[in-house]
Amino acid sequence: MPGETQLPASVSVRPARRIGRGGRGAALAWGGAIAIALIAPHLFASGFGLSLLCRMAIAIVFALSFNMLLGQGGMLDFGHAVFFGLGGFATMHLLKLVDGGLALPVVLLPLAGALGGALAALPAGWLATRREGTSFAMITLGIAELAVALVVMIPQWFGGEEGVSGDRSGGVALFGFDFGSAVQIYYVLAAWALLAAALMWGVTRTPLGRLANAVRDNPLRVDFLGYDPARIRFLTFLLAGLFAGVAGGMQALNDEIMTVSNIGSAASGAVLLMTYIGGVGTFSGPVIGAVLVTLLQVALGTVTDAWQLYSGLIFVAMVLWAPGGISGIVQSHAPILRAGRGARLLGPYLALLPAVGLTLAGTVGLAELAYRLQAVRGGARAGRLFGLAVAPTDPWQWLLPLALFVLGAWLLSRLAPPARAAWQEAAAQAARGVS
Amino acid sequence: MSAPALSLRSLHKSFGATSILRDVSLDIPAGTRHAIIGPNGAGKSTLFHLVTGRLRLDRGSVWLAGDDITGQSPHAIFRRGLARSFQVTSLFPRLSVFENLRVAGMRAAGCGHAFWRRIDGFAALGARIEEMLALLDLGPRRDVAAGALAYAEQRALEIGLALVGGAHTILLDEPTAGMSRAETERAVALLRRLSAGRTLVMIEHDLSVVFDLADAITVLADGGVIASGPPASVRGDARVRAAYLGAAAEVLT
Repeated sequence: MPGETQLPASVSVRPARRIGRGGRGAALAWGGAIAIALIAPHLFASGFGLSLLCRMAIAIVFALSFNMLLGQGGMLDFGHAVFFGLGGFATMHLLKLVDGGLALPVVLLPLAGALGGALAALPAGWLATRREGTSFAMITLGIAELAVALVVMIPQWFGGEEGVSGDRSGGVALFGFDFGSAVQIYYVLAAWALLAAALMWGVTRTPLGRLANAVRDNPLRVDFLGYDPARIRFLTFLLAGLFAGVAGGMQALNDEIMTVSNIGSAASGAVLLMTYIGGVGTFSGPVIGAVLVTLLQVALGTVTDAWQLYSGLIFVAMVLWAPGGISGIVQSHAPILRAGRGARLLGPYLALLPAVGLTLAGTVGLAELAYRLQAVRGGARAGRLFGLAVAPTDPWQWLLPLALFVLGAWLLSRLAPPARAAWQEAAAQAARGVS
Repeated sequence: MSAPALSLRSLHKSFGATSILRDVSLDIPAGTRHAIIGPNGAGKSTLFHLVTGRLRLDRGSVWLAGDDITGQSPHAIFRRGLARSFQVTSLFPRLSVFENLRVAGMRAAGCGHAFWRRIDGFAALGARIEEMLALLDLGPRRDVAAGALAYAEQRALEIGLALVGGAHTILLDEPTAGMSRAETERAVALLRRLSAGRTLVMIEHDLSVVFDLADAITVLADGGVIASGPPASVRGDARVRAAYLGAAAEVLT
């Protein structure tokens, strides 16, 4: 019957999007990534800067491994930190052996993470990948709880409350490098991040990678094309666990300690946040998300104690208004810019700015008041906000941010539709201009 | 002649208390084109679901090229050489037209589940897909997401997914549904060309397509076979005429 199609409407109404074939653009992107990895430590040479870069390198690998499941394979894993954490513990134990005299270069230790992550993913994936969609997500949630319980129950392996710690400079020095210094460990982690990212990118261009996309889109049809969708999910899950384990191994080298918190739901939530904010639809999305969210956590953390509130708000806002993440926003504007129609969007987009500013100011005011209300009740001092003394128990102080928020939101509700219409028109024109 | 390409032996299927198919038996010789027709609700799509492993049989058995495939999974049945299309278009909406066809051709090309070989390295598969793109008239749409195609293009791609894998027996569920006259004619020409040397079984409502293509016709009504044989004999069957009372009966004359 006409119209009787199971394709989601949101897909079919979009202008025909051309799907890139890689090639020169990809080579350029990889060259750029290597260049950035080499130059970055010179631009951010402080101890703080280097530790930030190390955290980014770890987050990039972790988020990319998460997106093998979510973006590439359509699997929402609520317990991805299990493989990260167990990979980290495996690395930590090997590091202690190296400290004890085992002749193994410290550089290679994330391989133990890969093994640990993959081994943990074996039983977990065997259970979870029999199902798809919500059932899959539920099973991973259960596995995550189970893993945390096991880690707490076996202090001999996981060190109980204190975790397991080691010394990365305790091994045999390789060519005079002992990896004790911040810049040396940065280059080790950057090299691992580039290698792991390249391998994961490679997987997207293999038969299994393509089959994972197919299972994400339509598992039923895959079954009728000679492949068992559960088996494809399982293999993808193993690889994602392996690379999460590499990230965990990098973390172990960087922090020289692993604790139960590295396995828990907060860590799993963080990687979901990063990946989603960056965008699950492209390979580069999780990289963008990992860099930005790591930066945001640190930057917001220095400015406000309520930073978790903000990352939660940002996540909700992205899910609601930009489900494709940052890379999705870039992707939906790239053809318009290439067709030279970007200037037409400038007006409507600039008109949004004051409204966005008002809404943000109101949101920040409300968030800070809410956070400090709790702090004041706990006996802390409210402190100052934007140079003003804050008294969250005074109802009048809530009025101004509330008014800003309502005004901004109202303006946005009026200005967003024309901006959206301008974007849709420009996108349609760009699509027509190309084909 | 060897075993029939497809042999259905006394199939039974009920959903709860509702009997959908009762004692359906059918032999389809290899290399023939066979049409299954019948009023809505006759059980035609259910029959395809039973044969391809989508649904489980209550009783009876299904034989593909002499082998019992009863109760096997859809992917196992596909690997034995049976491919199908769907009445409700079932594509990979976010993959390009090219990638849709390539996924469908991967099993036959021996790609396995490899994650250590580049998919572009399977040159013969790539060439086969380009060839199929041309046959389907989808060449200019090669890199467009399947979800963004027009309806008729999606229907063409749906047929393409069933044909590209090199299966010896192909089941098409209403391949021309919703197509215009011109599109239907192109689809018929394509089916004629690509079914050469293979066995084609199709559910089809468009009787002109049926009489144009089919070597034999089976009429299914109310869960049972009421007639089966060459077009000429089915055309004259009194029970078929009774089942087709109304507009379609005129097409049969």
